[in-house]
Amino acid sequence: MDSAHLEERPHKKRRFFAENSSPIAVTPIRHPSPPPLASPDPTPDGIATSPAPVPDDNKEDHGGVSLEGFDIGLLQVVVGELAPSVLQKLKDISGNDVQRAINLYLDGSWNTARPPAPATILPSRPPSVQTTLPGSLTRRESERSNASTPASSTSTPLAPVLKAMPTKRYLGSFGAVGWATKSGTGMIRHDENIGIERVKTQPRLGKGGRVRPVTKKNLDIVVRFTNDRGAEVGRLENDSADWISSLMDHKLCSFEASCVYAPERLRTGDTVYLQLRCYLLRTAFVTRKFTRSDPGEEKTIFESEESEEERDLQRRQVALVKLFEAINLHPTRMNESAEKHKRQGLLQAAEMAEKKEQKTKMKSGEAVDLASSPPSDAAEEGQELEQDQLDTLYKKAQSFDFDTPELEPADTFSMHLRKYQKQALYWMVGKEKHESLKHKEAVMHPLWEEYEWPVQDADNVSLPIIDDQTMFYINPYSGEMSLDFPRQEQNCLGGVLADEMGLGKTIEMLSLIHTHRTEPPKHEPSSTFKNLPRLLKNSATVEPAPYTTLVVAPMSLLAQWQSEAEKASKDGTLKVIVYYGADKAVNLQKLCCAANGANAPNVIITSYGTILSEFNQVAALEGNCGSHGGIFSLEYFRIILDEAHYIKNRKSKTAKACYDLSAKHRWVLTGTPIVNRLEDLFSLVRFLKVEPWSNFSFWKTFITVPFESKDWIRALDVVQTVLEPLVLRRTKDMKTPDGTALVPLPSRTIDVEKIVMSQDERDVYDHIYMRARRFFNANAEAGTLLKSYTTIFTQILRLRQSCCHPVLTRNAKIVADEEDAALASDLVNGIADDMDLSSLIERFTSGGEQDVNKFGVHVLKQIQDETDAECPICSEEPMADQAVTGCWHSACKECLLNYINHQRDRGVLPLCFNCREPINARDVFEVVRHDDDMGLNDNLRSDSLDHAPPSQSQPPRISLRRIGLLGSAKTQALLTHLKANRKADRTIKSVVFSQFTAFIDLIEPALTRDNIPFLRLDGTMSQKQRAAVLTEFSTSDKPYVFLLSLRAGGVGLNLVAAQKVFMMDPWWSFAVEAQAIDRVHRMGQEHEVKVVRFIIEGSIEEKMLRIQDRKKFIASSLGMMSDEEKRLQKIEDIKELLS
Amino acid sequence: MALSKRIIKETQRLAEDAVPGISAVPHDDNLRYFDVTIDGPSQSPYEGGVFKAELFLPDDYPMTPPKIRFLTRIYHPNIDRLGRICLDVLKSNWSPALQIRTILLSIQALLGAPNPDDPLANDVAQAWKQDEQAAIATAREWTEKHAKP
Repeated sequence: MDSAHLEERPHKKRRFFAENSSPIAVTPIRHPSPPPLASPDPTPDGIATSPAPVPDDNKEDHGGVSLEGFDIGLLQVVVGELAPSVLQKLKDISGNDVQRAINLYLDGSWNTARPPAPATILPSRPPSVQTTLPGSLTRRESERSNASTPASSTSTPLAPVLKAMPTKRYLGSFGAVGWATKSGTGMIRHDENIGIERVKTQPRLGKGGRVRPVTKKNLDIVVRFTNDRGAEVGRLENDSADWISSLMDHKLCSFEASCVYAPERLRTGDTVYLQLRCYLLRTAFVTRKFTRSDPGEEKTIFESEESEEERDLQRRQVALVKLFEAINLHPTRMNESAEKHKRQGLLQAAEMAEKKEQKTKMKSGEAVDLASSPPSDAAEEGQELEQDQLDTLYKKAQSFDFDTPELEPADTFSMHLRKYQKQALYWMVGKEKHESLKHKEAVMHPLWEEYEWPVQDADNVSLPIIDDQTMFYINPYSGEMSLDFPRQEQNCLGGVLADEMGLGKTIEMLSLIHTHRTEPPKHEPSSTFKNLPRLLKNSATVEPAPYTTLVVAPMSLLAQWQSEAEKASKDGTLKVIVYYGADKAVNLQKLCCAANGANAPNVIITSYGTILSEFNQVAALEGNCGSHGGIFSLEYFRIILDEAHYIKNRKSKTAKACYDLSAKHRWVLTGTPIVNRLEDLFSLVRFLKVEPWSNFSFWKTFITVPFESKDWIRALDVVQTVLEPLVLRRTKDMKTPDGTALVPLPSRTIDVEKIVMSQDERDVYDHIYMRARRFFNANAEAGTLLKSYTTIFTQILRLRQSCCHPVLTRNAKIVADEEDAALASDLVNGIADDMDLSSLIERFTSGGEQDVNKFGVHVLKQIQDETDAECPICSEEPMADQAVTGCWHSACKECLLNYINHQRDRGVLPLCFNCREPINARDVFEVVRHDDDMGLNDNLRSDSLDHAPPSQSQPPRISLRRIGLLGSAKTQALLTHLKANRKADRTIKSVVFSQFTAFIDLIEPALTRDNIPFLRLDGTMSQKQRAAVLTEFSTSDKPYVFLLSLRAGGVGLNLVAAQKVFMMDPWWSFAVEAQAIDRVHRMGQEHEVKVVRFIIEGSIEEKMLRIQDRKKFIASSLGMMSDEEKRLQKIEDIKELLS
Repeated sequence: MALSKRIIKETQRLAEDAVPGISAVPHDDNLRYFDVTIDGPSQSPYEGGVFKAELFLPDDYPMTPPKIRFLTRIYHPNIDRLGRICLDVLKSNWSPALQIRTILLSIQALLGAPNPDDPLANDVAQAWKQDEQAAIATAREWTEKHAKP
């Protein structure tokens, strides 16, 4: 070929050749021994300089070598061009079996091998192998030419069904345009058979066997066509060449063509119209080695953007989709709902992939860290789901089959299971033993599409029909192809148990632990566990713990797990230990390894915190988990993550630590598999190691990207297919087909009780309120609302606290905030205000405890005589809450206080109603009668003055208490309720929730004074303390009142021993309160549950209720200070609060 | 406004456990409104007279005292022409521990012990101070004239 033609080509083409010529200097590994005969040089160099045609029809060439019955076409398509002598040798040693020849060639053994009896080394792999790996991502092209790859990786024999397939099979035809690279007359004629060929530089191996990155710019996509004499005529246009080249490179297709139109006299650059016929090659269906990246590598892919291989994969996908579009071939069967989205989505995803990377980077820069969310130490990404989307998703995932068989738990399990729990057990055991549900019909894998082989070609000529092969299958997402029906398989030996809170997930799990377990063998097998997978990147061995289940739960639930585990097991059938990580004396590895089978604990319970800290320790040991001897040194029989939304953020350290735990069976328990983002689910799937979804790029391409580009239906459909085989979810309100509730729970009533503040409290409240309003208005006028957002919010907090108890606003921490606020506003005014407030509060708290001992016996006698008398003010008989003045005159407490307030309102000095002695509210004493708590807590009666009762009449013993000390209106209301309950039922237990632990501090002494036994749980307590308190509450006979902080007690705990719930203060969203209430109103509750929510009338709390109704979440925005818009929205809410 | 327990009880007791010389009967259509009669105390200028009065219990009774007024004309330094009564327990010295019955007894006692130093009807008080006998005679006269049944 003359160089003139080259000059005529566009400039960049030359550059293209030049670029490609250089790396060829490296000896291609795929030619371990250079071909002795001069065969056409396969390198681009050769093409650029010598246009000698690469033979299209292999059978014609290779003179002198007898190759009949040996499919050289296939061989060369797979391994590339070979010298005839090489071909001959391959034919000989492989016994005319092309597949073998390919394998022999690729593993390098052909050079030394002698012709053996072929049948003996043809182990056939069951066809199912192909379908069990529906989505493996990391197929590597490079591996095929990598001589160092172990033989096993390339010598995968063909499945029987593949043998039946011809080397290539007609798929369809389409028109394409090319341009000439040669000029001349009669180069090509109408209807002439055209060869389509691809000469591409093979993946070049640099030093260390690494594939050189191929970027889009220099990607070689040249596809040439030749006339029937084998001379190159031209190239296909880039549009089609782009994907045709990739189909050919991936050995998926081969093409033949005929010329539709070409000018008689061809000039370089002229357009040539071709009709291409596409043949699907048998090699496209060959099961190749699917490498699962080792953990170390996986991590880097996972953490960074998509890798080289993934980009390659994407090219393959796109090429397939484009081909099918071009030949207008449609699937005969595919996931219906996905139908309209898939193809277009794939292309779109490829397009968006690059843009996405940047976006994600930007996004992760913004810290979106909710104060209320569990340990999320990194930013979350992904859009939040709208409520209705979440609903739809759950509804789909909730389609529970009520006909699922039941499974009786093992004998060692001592509790009674409900029907749906036995069904759960059946399902879980099925999952673990990997029995596909037999009553279900084989379902096609949702990501695959079924295609029919064409029976006629484009010219309506019938094509040969091959028995049993009328269909083929393609996974457009991975570019995989198969001749076997791709069944939807469950490939994870665990799952997500997402039953709603209160349905007994713990019990269900415990029944599984009992029912599916390995028994220690009589004599142990010795060295079989040396070749097990390794954890982290290091070489430390991770020993199997075949008898042990690891339970990871939030700190507050450890004790509950332990006690439930013990309760659910017959004595001695289950060894349970709680592992805090702190006791370094315990070497878990020694304790749990197979050799110690007889003594190994069956269940280890530990917390997320422990996992995290051990993870850090192991990381410090550079991943040497074996020698650490802790949690990470074992491969468990089973891992259960309780409240698994703790790991919902895949970037959090806790989540990463959990991913690195090894186990045969993996389970997650959560009532909310998706909290607010689809990515929440990903983290669970990742923990479960569900292929292929546990690869984040895959997830991103098919779920995140469509979702964020508003293609919700597609995203949610895919999510559903992920969830369906994995998740078991039932809700409390589910009804069986015959209409009965899944779990009949006793009824629950929630009452809002409006409380009126005392005047002193009101003064404090009003004071704070006015100040907050002034501050708000001043800032609103100055336009500095956003800047002062924190301060305003602090003041709102203060208001809410003063609703509970005025003293709360004097909390040291808050005062500090307040000082900031004062500085921010008018300094002088601020100080003056503060003084004011102090005096107001002082008025509220003034007056210490009166020494009751100074009262004479006669006074008490008199008071006691009046105990059953009528109230002189309201005529109630006996008095409701008898109270006495400082001059010992009795009336109802309320009447007395009313009268004092009445007088004060009129500006007169309050006088005793009886003797007209001056009195004030501080001098009013409540008469505490001990008739209703006799026999209880004698030790608690420290401040009461016991009156020795006359022997016969047994009048009630009484003591006096200054009313002011009772504290706020809310505490009084609470006490009234508690006392009324106590009168009604001596054994009743109650739970009191408040979000302010300081308020709980104030409730405590009030309960003490009324001899009401109480327990307390808040965030400051250690795990052991919590456990003790929880046990005491559920087992004791005392009518305990359990004081809990909403934060610490709102999640997970089981408080069914109580029947009454008091919510002292409203939270911004009722959902949080409802969750707390569900601690009591859950499975196991046998009584009606009464809930009282205390709300101060005419206060900010009433407005909060209104906001609750509108389901707004001010609190959730607290952490998002950067998001201006949201803050503006919140300002609106605050306006309403302060209106 | 619903009647408080206290008013019901007081009304009941006034009927069941009547005080001699005093009666108070609520109206059928307004149970806070009472027709009251008080007999003039013996050895007083009002002896033998039966004095009618009206009594009304305000909404915030018993935090505030009942309103009471004589309907029968009476010559008394602490009761004016309109029948209004000057009595400390009806004003500043009211206490919710007081009741209709005790108030009426107090008024009866007031009839027996006029107090011209704290007058409401100035002319009567003046007369009383200047010539007590003449004033008492006038009171008797008025009783004959207005308070005889």
